[in-house]
Amino acid sequence: MAKGLTWTVADADHMTQAEIYGEVLTQLGAQNEKIIALTADLAGSTKIGRFQKDFPDRFVNLGVAEMNMMGMASGLASVGFIPVVSTFAVFASLRCAEFVRTDICYQNRNVKIIATHSGTSFGQAGTTHHCTEDLAVMRSFAGMKVIAPADSYETANALAAAIEAEGPVYMRIGRSFEPPLHKSADFDFEIGKAIQIHEGTDITVIACGRTVLSALEAAEIAQQQGLSVRVLDMHTIKPIDTDAVLQAVGDTRRIITVEDHNVIGGLGSAVAEVIAASGKGCVLRKLGLQDQFSIVGYPEDLLHRYGIDGDGIAEAIQQVMKTDFEADEDWEDEV
Amino acid sequence: MLTRDELKSRLFLRVALPLTKVVREDDPKMRSLTRNMNAVVQFAVKGADTGAHLVFENDGLEVVQGIHEKPTVAFIFKDVKSLNDFFAGKLALPSIKGLWRLDVILRTVPLLLSLKMLMPEADPKDPAKRALKVKLLLYMVTSALSQLNKSGDPAMAKLVAESPDRIYQWIVEGGPSAYLRMKAGKSKAGRGVYTRRRPFVLMKFPDIDGAYQVLTSKVALVEAVKQGFVVTEGAMEYSKEIGIRMQVIEELMAN
Repeated sequence: MAKGLTWTVADADHMTQAEIYGEVLTQLGAQNEKIIALTADLAGSTKIGRFQKDFPDRFVNLGVAEMNMMGMASGLASVGFIPVVSTFAVFASLRCAEFVRTDICYQNRNVKIIATHSGTSFGQAGTTHHCTEDLAVMRSFAGMKVIAPADSYETANALAAAIEAEGPVYMRIGRSFEPPLHKSADFDFEIGKAIQIHEGTDITVIACGRTVLSALEAAEIAQQQGLSVRVLDMHTIKPIDTDAVLQAVGDTRRIITVEDHNVIGGLGSAVAEVIAASGKGCVLRKLGLQDQFSIVGYPEDLLHRYGIDGDGIAEAIQQVMKTDFEADEDWEDEV
Repeated sequence: MLTRDELKSRLFLRVALPLTKVVREDDPKMRSLTRNMNAVVQFAVKGADTGAHLVFENDGLEVVQGIHEKPTVAFIFKDVKSLNDFFAGKLALPSIKGLWRLDVILRTVPLLLSLKMLMPEADPKDPAKRALKVKLLLYMVTSALSQLNKSGDPAMAKLVAESPDRIYQWIVEGGPSAYLRMKAGKSKAGRGVYTRRRPFVLMKFPDIDGAYQVLTSKVALVEAVKQGFVVTEGAMEYSKEIGIRMQVIEELMAN
């Protein structure tokens, strides 16, 4: 857990990722006067109201003007502030894409974009407010770090790490009541270093964001069926932990990626790029939205619909285990 | 399903007999004894298709399963049981066809007798012989486990049928390695380290002596782990399962 933060386990169990984000940002703000929070009329929804209350002179609400917000953040960063921008993922990554690219990334400005309501977590708000393209867009901007923490604890650690990191960071978090994955925030979190949640040698499931918990559930289901599943919490999509991916390729030769995102351009693609560059053979199945728009529904139902809940991943594990990673060899004993 | 005797003969012909090739490659004395020999030496059961033959050719040796039409020398057993007794070192005299090629017989028999070092009571003191015994036992265990599956042994066949693609690896540091691959009913015993993926179960012996103690059952597995003769990594419950199958093989081949 980041030094000096005072929220408790009980808080994390009962607060959403966004609420913990608001809480931790306020505490980090108390430690670092350079932090300035910006929002585009979404202080309540993105849960940074407490920061506004505690540090009104370091809080800017630009109204419904997200692109201007990115420009202002860039300007503030240019004079030494650490602007933390909060808005919905769909606005941060799509509406503001060109501003983030040119004003922030191209200038390598020290801006932190915290995108709430990512993936399908804004379920009932519908397709227009879901965001299943942000990882792909943000990953393609040179110099941008892209993080998708798995739960509230990880969000707290990731935010502290993002503030510490030099340069632009995009962090996507959810909106709904994501159950905790970790038991506490007392674990090593390093941008670009995956966390092994479950050890296994038959297959590796690499997940990010709230689907890490689904992956863990799937590993437990598969274990009942006699399978040994490794689960990696790939909280940083860029820079991706190449070593962890290659280790999984070498150890298990079968990989499933899971993301609450289109399977094009996100975590699955990042993992595929690492595998392809290595020249090693590996079965890869990418779970997520299969090049489609999400529908309206409760987040839990949407996870199920797109096969990224525990049951869906467990089923995919069974299928992938039947797939060969190389031409089947001769089964004569060696003498 | 095979009878106990049929299963035993399969293990002797497909698992033990091929080890003569390893002995010949490893032991300079055996190599020189059979140097430049060109002959086919067959072991067969009379009137049955149970048999295997050693083919000495171009200063090499191949062990081939099945019956050769025109062997140079043939050891013919009256039934499967006497073939098994012969390979288990018990008194069982086969009829010998091609007796006039005494030179071939005299050069082959020592090679066969060298397999006696696999017997539990054989306890060589010479480090080279101990190392060879470890190598032979490793190769024997992995091949026998695979053959147990291929013969339809219910417990082993069930384990393999239910297994996804998995590797059971045995490694002796500074010595031989062998592995058993299982995948949905199929099995394969292999030599060396399987490098295409991480083993599901890894039994690593820090040295030849540790491996010798464990593979000859001089020390029980639990005690061996405690004393550091072997380090097991991976799925312990499956390691135990394999241990049980290894005991079945030991019992089958010794009695």
